[in-house]
Amino acid sequence: MIIEALIGVTFLAALVVLITPDEYAGKLAFGASLLPLAGSLYMWSAFDATGNALLGGSAARAFETQIRWLEVGGIELQWFVGVDGVSLPLVVLSTFLTSLAILSAWRPITDRQAQFYGLVLFMEANLLGVFTALDFFAWFVFWEAVLVPMYFLIGIWGGPRRKYAAIKFFVYTNVASLVMFIFFIQLVYNLDVATFGLPAITQAIHAGEVSGFLGLAPSTVKTLAFAALFLGFAVKVPVVPFHTWLPDAHVEAPTPVSVLLAGVLLKMGTYAMLRYNFTMLPDVAKQYAAVIAVFAVVSVIYGAMLALAQRDLKRIVAYSSVSSMGYVILGLVAYTTLGVGGATFQMVAHGLISGLMFMAVGVIYNETHTRMVGSMSGLADRMPVTVGILIAGAFGYMGLPLMAGFAAEFFIFQGAFASTVLARAPLFAAAAMFGIVIVAGYLLLAMQKTLFGPYELETDYEVTAAGPTETVPLAILLVSIVLLGVAPELFFDMITDAVDPILQVGGDV
Amino acid sequence: MSAAFTYAPLIVALPFLSFLIALAAGLADRDVLPKGGAIPGILATLGSLALSAWVALTVAGGAVFDETIYEWAVAAGVESQLELSFGLLLDPLSAMMLVIVCLVATLVHVFSLGYMNDEGETGLPRYYAGLGLFTASMLGFVVSDNLLQSFVFFELVGLCSYLLIGFHFREPGPPSAAKKAFLVTRFGDYFFLVGLVGIVATFGTAQFGGAESFPHVAELVLAGEASVRTFGFAPETWFTILGLLVLGGVIGKSAQFPLHTWLPDAMEGPTPVSALIHAATMVAAGVFLVARMYGFYAVSPTALAIVALVGGFTALFAATMGLVKRELKQVLAYSTISQYGYMMLALGTGGYVAATFHLLTHAFFKALLFLGAGSVIIAMHHNENMWDMGGLRKRMPVTYATFLVGSLALAGIVPFAGFWSKDEVLYEALIHGLGTEGSLGTVFLAAYAMGLLAVLFTGFYTFRMVALTFHGEPRTDLAADPESVGWNVKGPLSVLGLLAATTGFLNLAPVKKLTGAKVDFLHQWLEGPEGAALMATLSAKHYKHLLHDVNPAQVTASELGPLLPAALSLGLAITGALVAFRLYATPEPTEHTAKLGGLQDVLYNNYYQDEYQVWLATNVVQPLAGVADTVDQSLVDGVVNGVSSVSLSSGSRIRRIQTGVVSNYAALVTLGLTALLVAFGLYEGWLL
Amino acid sequence: MAVPVQWYLLLSAAMFCIGVFGVLTRRNALLFLMSVELMLNAANINLVAFARLWGNLTGQVFSLFTMALAAAEVAVGIGIILVLYRNFSDVDVTRATTMRW
Repeated sequence: MIIEALIGVTFLAALVVLITPDEYAGKLAFGASLLPLAGSLYMWSAFDATGNALLGGSAARAFETQIRWLEVGGIELQWFVGVDGVSLPLVVLSTFLTSLAILSAWRPITDRQAQFYGLVLFMEANLLGVFTALDFFAWFVFWEAVLVPMYFLIGIWGGPRRKYAAIKFFVYTNVASLVMFIFFIQLVYNLDVATFGLPAITQAIHAGEVSGFLGLAPSTVKTLAFAALFLGFAVKVPVVPFHTWLPDAHVEAPTPVSVLLAGVLLKMGTYAMLRYNFTMLPDVAKQYAAVIAVFAVVSVIYGAMLALAQRDLKRIVAYSSVSSMGYVILGLVAYTTLGVGGATFQMVAHGLISGLMFMAVGVIYNETHTRMVGSMSGLADRMPVTVGILIAGAFGYMGLPLMAGFAAEFFIFQGAFASTVLARAPLFAAAAMFGIVIVAGYLLLAMQKTLFGPYELETDYEVTAAGPTETVPLAILLVSIVLLGVAPELFFDMITDAVDPILQVGGDV
Repeated sequence: MSAAFTYAPLIVALPFLSFLIALAAGLADRDVLPKGGAIPGILATLGSLALSAWVALTVAGGAVFDETIYEWAVAAGVESQLELSFGLLLDPLSAMMLVIVCLVATLVHVFSLGYMNDEGETGLPRYYAGLGLFTASMLGFVVSDNLLQSFVFFELVGLCSYLLIGFHFREPGPPSAAKKAFLVTRFGDYFFLVGLVGIVATFGTAQFGGAESFPHVAELVLAGEASVRTFGFAPETWFTILGLLVLGGVIGKSAQFPLHTWLPDAMEGPTPVSALIHAATMVAAGVFLVARMYGFYAVSPTALAIVALVGGFTALFAATMGLVKRELKQVLAYSTISQYGYMMLALGTGGYVAATFHLLTHAFFKALLFLGAGSVIIAMHHNENMWDMGGLRKRMPVTYATFLVGSLALAGIVPFAGFWSKDEVLYEALIHGLGTEGSLGTVFLAAYAMGLLAVLFTGFYTFRMVALTFHGEPRTDLAADPESVGWNVKGPLSVLGLLAATTGFLNLAPVKKLTGAKVDFLHQWLEGPEGAALMATLSAKHYKHLLHDVNPAQVTASELGPLLPAALSLGLAITGALVAFRLYATPEPTEHTAKLGGLQDVLYNNYYQDEYQVWLATNVVQPLAGVADTVDQSLVDGVVNGVSSVSLSSGSRIRRIQTGVVSNYAALVTLGLTALLVAFGLYEGWLL
Repeated sequence: MAVPVQWYLLLSAAMFCIGVFGVLTRRNALLFLMSVELMLNAANINLVAFARLWGNLTGQVFSLFTMALAAAEVAVGIGIILVLYRNFSDVDVTRATTMRW
């Protein structure tokens, strides 16, 4: 029942915070967000499942609840939640980042605070739902419901072009979800199952129960479903060429929202890909492995090249997110323990690192009121601690060893290189690895121009060192990044447990 | 297990602790620690030095150690169990390197008291934190027992280099140099990473030593006694590819052509940092790595040839650039590149011991030269231009004496350390070139020729530097009245001066050849203790076996006496030195570069190496990024926005139907209904 | 003798067409409303006629419902017309086009 409690408490907290006076809203929201954080940490410590939630039985799912809810058209809807080694790290990531994001919002968010924090908590509740739900219907409701608070968070508290960004984000991801939804339902109706429970669906597909539809062969039905699901999730990840909403959304979104957007929301896409595309339809994934790997490599290199061309710090980090998420796709399609496990680990690692980067850029923006590379220099002189952490975070992004990013990227590269599913795997891996050079290029260039050199600032604000409510979340994030980099087994152990069954189904191609 | 090995992890941990202390001090308040954090650093490096010496003694006593101490990650998958771990490999090679690194690090910490503290620099905790982290990373690299760990610390060393080069971040130059250093080495590290991943994927392990180690498995595969996945290549080809990929990292870190461009720029960092990082230790990391996994290179003729050629070419190429530099540290920077070229040359031509020997002596004499340069720079109030110096000999006798010792060692004048090691490098290259059949022998000889020619230039630029700095008459007021330096400068100089003069006697291989006396201690040392199973795959003897018996090109040494080659290289070095002295050790020296004609510009501009790399970055990569951005904004996002505007505009057309006149709606409804009825009627067949 | 059901249907169809014609051509809102009423009642005739034909009361009950609905509709409709007149000083339905695009 702990998952229900987690989601329920967060929803409740959202409601309470919504009607709190503005002056207390931030503190109350932070306090309330510690509850799900504590709950998720408890889940982490008490986690005892081994196996994959979709492929195994009850033993593969920790904290499972399954309640029949209602029946529609011969198919049963249920409240079915549980976590395994893939979803638990993401649950912890969500609660952890939300708390820190709320803390980092105290300074920049000055109007309509109650609504802001209420929406953030509402989003957190839905995110928890996305990562724990094991029934398609419930999952889809949470999946869509995440968009709503995000739309308002960007649209109300965003920058000058916030309306454009919010609508673009909402419509783009929503259309993608619709496509995904239609084809998934189509797939389910071509199965002999009487439930929307994801484990049942997965196991039915693997048992070869997909039937033809409208004169299409079963394999075509699966391929179509795979393509639609991939498209639906690729927009969320985002995979090039479906990425253009991301920089707009990030640039307009206020810092704490960027943190959550990059840190957690993008992971919904890769998480769903892992669950649906790569776990349910491994044979299709293996057949089109090369195509998917091309998407991945293009995302990595092209995203990095775009980041190189940007002058806005937030845009740089946004495009580098595109690049980093490309690694995840590459790891997933490798179908090796290290590849898929590393991809999952990268979701957590990138969540923390990009969160740190956005937060640090936000702290700088709070002081300087500019994010343009050309309009400031020598900030290290005025804000040494913030800049120090930003540098550390940037090196984390570059994959510096003993930080979480390196562990994840190394696992992915190793997994991709040794992949037997992917033809010419070493070439794909080597091509993607070149991303680590470009990422170093643009981050070092941007850092040199903004942080070092003689102090100059175009805006006429007096820059002082940031206060503790701003630097403490940064420091906590940095420590967690180093911790995961030094001891990846904290998560990697349970991840490999959950990932291995995926590799055993579907057979080789 | 010996007690020394139990405490060995502390060698790495102590400097790391000093890093943490300095970091905490920097975060708290700058006056928390006396001397800005230098004291913990000195104590920690001293502790590490003592422990390293203990380890070295234990190794000398016949014990070696190779154990995993931390499981970093385990991929227990369906394919196979893959363990990624950190461990300690303490054998003669790493024990020797530990002592070098700890010793130089200690001396540099002490020297920093004079160079940084006494000069009133700010941000000292940051400086000492950087030094501490650097020392820890370098030591972690040295004790690595597998390639992954090497890579990890290799990168951390690069980070420290970045932080320390950019120490004076308020000026425009250092941050730029720091960026360049990290970026260029990162480019090399990319290949290293690909190679590392490839090695792990191929062998399922990255261990250096033991029966399960990848060099040994590679050897077995080539002998047909084992098989690994070689991704569609013949094993020899694949191993060569992997070796060359790892070599990419080596070329970056050890500043070999064409990735050497960062090192001269890195002189923007404080001079002690140049001494520690860019001369004695970090740059040595690359060469050390090749020595560490030498068994993997020894079996591949192509890899050896490329290592030898890169080394020989770099030795010559960098030496020529050193000829015309005006700044003291620039000359030293190019000499560093050149000297590492010699080490690569030795490794490529099968001179494993010679390379290690040169690594050892070079660490001491180059650290000495850099610290001596630091002393001069203090005296000259941070003016580095040699043409503003002159006549410092009388005013700085200690610095002059030690600097001269270092220069004699660098130029390779008997009996200073550099002579013995460089002579052995060239001698090994020559005899292997003469003894090896086929094209590999020719390549060795070509590399030897380049190395030999570089000796002449080395002698010249070294003594040009000495003459301009210390001889003649003072050319500026600064040089006439230099600032005095304290004990903390002279002390390290004296220690290093002593070492630079004497370390050559550790390995008198030519003397052994001539007299038969067993004075080639380093050879014996690297042969390893008898009976230790680990040394079966890591000893110099084993490498000889690999070169000769497993390598298809059969690298063989010819029976040439050591006297003639030694005399040749010594003669060249002395010639170069004398010419330089004749030209520059005059009361009023003038620049003779104009005699070089067109070559002068080429040399001043370092063969336009920087230019083409910067051109690549600004005229190719950046425009490419710009094009990508334009494409992204106009095409990719254009499609998205296009879809949206098509929807919007078609919507605004279609909404014209919405006239607001109720009658029209009614008409539409009626028409629609009629149409539906007709359609149904036709379809069902009751109409018509 | 009972009138055959066709006659009722004819009557109903004729009424419906008159109603449709009215809706399409009249501009006066009151006439508009009356035309709608005509169409509704045409449907009622149908319902009653079939109810009688099959001997099933559902149709008659249904037509009662429809009449109640029609009454409600008239109430609302008249209300709308009043508002229309108040806003546009007219009851011409083609003039009240402010709600278009």
